[in-house]
Amino acid sequence: MARHLNTIPGRLVLMLLLIHALLMPPLFYVISSTVERTMKDSFVDNVRNLAQIFVDRFERLEEDAAEQQIVVFLDSAILSGQGRYAAIEIGGRTVASSLMSDADTELFREDFAFGEHGDDTYYLSLPVVGLAEPAVLKLGYDESPIHEDFAAVRRTLIYVLAAYLLMTLFVAGLMSATIVRPLRWLQKASRAISSGDVDQELKADSRLEEISALADDLETMRRNLVGINERLKKEIAEREQAEADRRHLEDQVHHHQRLRSLGTLAGGVAHEFNNVLQPMVLYLELALEDLPADSQIAENLARVQDLANRAKGLSQQILTFSRQDSDARLVTEDLAPVVEEVVTMIRALLPATVDLRLDIEPGCSPVKCAPEQIKQLLVNLCNNASRALSDEGYVSVSLSEVAVSEHMAIRYQNLDAGQYVVLEVRDTGRGMDAATQERIFEPFFTTQEVGKGTGLGLSVVHGIVERHDGEIAVESEPGKGTQFRVFLPCAARRTVSAE
Amino acid sequence: MARILIVDDEEDVRIALKQVLERAGYEVTVAATGNEGLDVMKREGADLVITDVIMPGVDGIATAKQIREKYRDTRIIVISGGGRTAPDPYEPDAISTRSYLASASKAGADQTLTKPFDRDELLRVVRDLLDES
Repeated sequence: MARHLNTIPGRLVLMLLLIHALLMPPLFYVISSTVERTMKDSFVDNVRNLAQIFVDRFERLEEDAAEQQIVVFLDSAILSGQGRYAAIEIGGRTVASSLMSDADTELFREDFAFGEHGDDTYYLSLPVVGLAEPAVLKLGYDESPIHEDFAAVRRTLIYVLAAYLLMTLFVAGLMSATIVRPLRWLQKASRAISSGDVDQELKADSRLEEISALADDLETMRRNLVGINERLKKEIAEREQAEADRRHLEDQVHHHQRLRSLGTLAGGVAHEFNNVLQPMVLYLELALEDLPADSQIAENLARVQDLANRAKGLSQQILTFSRQDSDARLVTEDLAPVVEEVVTMIRALLPATVDLRLDIEPGCSPVKCAPEQIKQLLVNLCNNASRALSDEGYVSVSLSEVAVSEHMAIRYQNLDAGQYVVLEVRDTGRGMDAATQERIFEPFFTTQEVGKGTGLGLSVVHGIVERHDGEIAVESEPGKGTQFRVFLPCAARRTVSAE
Repeated sequence: MARILIVDDEEDVRIALKQVLERAGYEVTVAATGNEGLDVMKREGADLVITDVIMPGVDGIATAKQIREKYRDTRIIVISGGGRTAPDPYEPDAISTRSYLASASKAGADQTLTKPFDRDELLRVVRDLLDES
């Protein structure tokens, strides 16, 4: 109940009830008493006029009128209206109407105030002049119809007031509904906003100024919230992106560091290896010189020489991986002819089933490079790509120039924003999982069968890219294929000289 | 006949180089360390020095540098296994990825050779430097 009183309709109804509780009793009293007085006055006037008429008529009776005549006259006075009492006093003698009993004769009261005797009779006595003896006409009229009328008036008044009160409450209900409905709507809207649903636009369907102003404010608030939300979302997305970029770069740095320390290690091994190979190679040459070419010993030593050359090749590859091969000099050169030459050569070497595609974007800037190393890089990448192919699919080699954005440069340790020539080798072969991708540049890591491939191909590629101040990006998905993109800085941009 | 000094801490390298060069007709002296090599230069001199780059004590780069400073006409070949990085003698504090051979060139070597090289390669370089081609 208390809860209902704290609502707008509750308050409105309570207020109206209070106002009417104070207002209605005096209103009722004033109206009813006014009506009563008016009715009483008119009753009294009527009765007096009637009584006067009888006095006049009595005066016109013959002086010696028989008592019988007087009684008939008095009867007519009772019958003419709501008479209850009619008597005349002549010279101390009372003649009463025959319609009254003797007991009734005792009823007469001298005072004739309205409604005071309790017997519902209005008494009045009028002197009759012009007779030989003094005479007083005494009349009594029934008040009860007037009292009944009073009661009816009061009842009607109560009905009217009750109807009025009900009407008022009904109107109050309607009024509060016109206020409460938009309020409820606003409440629903603000609740939706507070629970996070801020996409719905708010439009007040109320003509009430306060409500529509409130709705406008709420809409402004909602728009601001949407704005803040979007800004936050954007900031979060940016932060997540930055975080992802940072992680990517960290992985990159870590990866490069690992390969670099592997390179240092492998390079050291290769160095010692070469120190051992050096006198071996020379001794073999000296020995072969001293032997007849067709001897069994010479033949065997020639085999050893071949082996030494193989060993030399291996250590050369390791040195390339560790970027410690000093032979390769960097020159400024267009890559297009280099790439074309390699692709032509590889086409001849690969099985005819391998579909090798080439796409060279005309007008690529030259790069500072060691062309022989670029060739080796491309050969190694193409070899890997063709080996990854099953019966179907293709290998595509493309050369293009791209502008590396700040955003991309953030993700790669060895990339700066600027122009790069990109050499891409893509295959539609079996692809690699993440764990494999992680390790592909490590020396002697291979997914080939034992005995096939040395596991140095991509290590060499990595060393070459590093030596060119470039970057290599790998994208691969098992079953879909692999894409290697080698970024080489355009020559015009280069400021750091490589030896 | 031109005199050639071989400086290498590896005996096998010394012997093999000596034999190859002597067969090619050169007069060959050998030294096992940089200091020894500098002594030989002081005593006998040489038209051409072939020095290994990584040696205990005075390394090949320091040897090459000193020879270049004192004996302007002596040709120098620095040889290396190639697989180590060396500090730049002119920028010792800089983190360098230069190979020893690159540093050697900077220190005054006329020519560098990466091990393992074969006889023809060696003799071609030697003849080039001694203007015998």
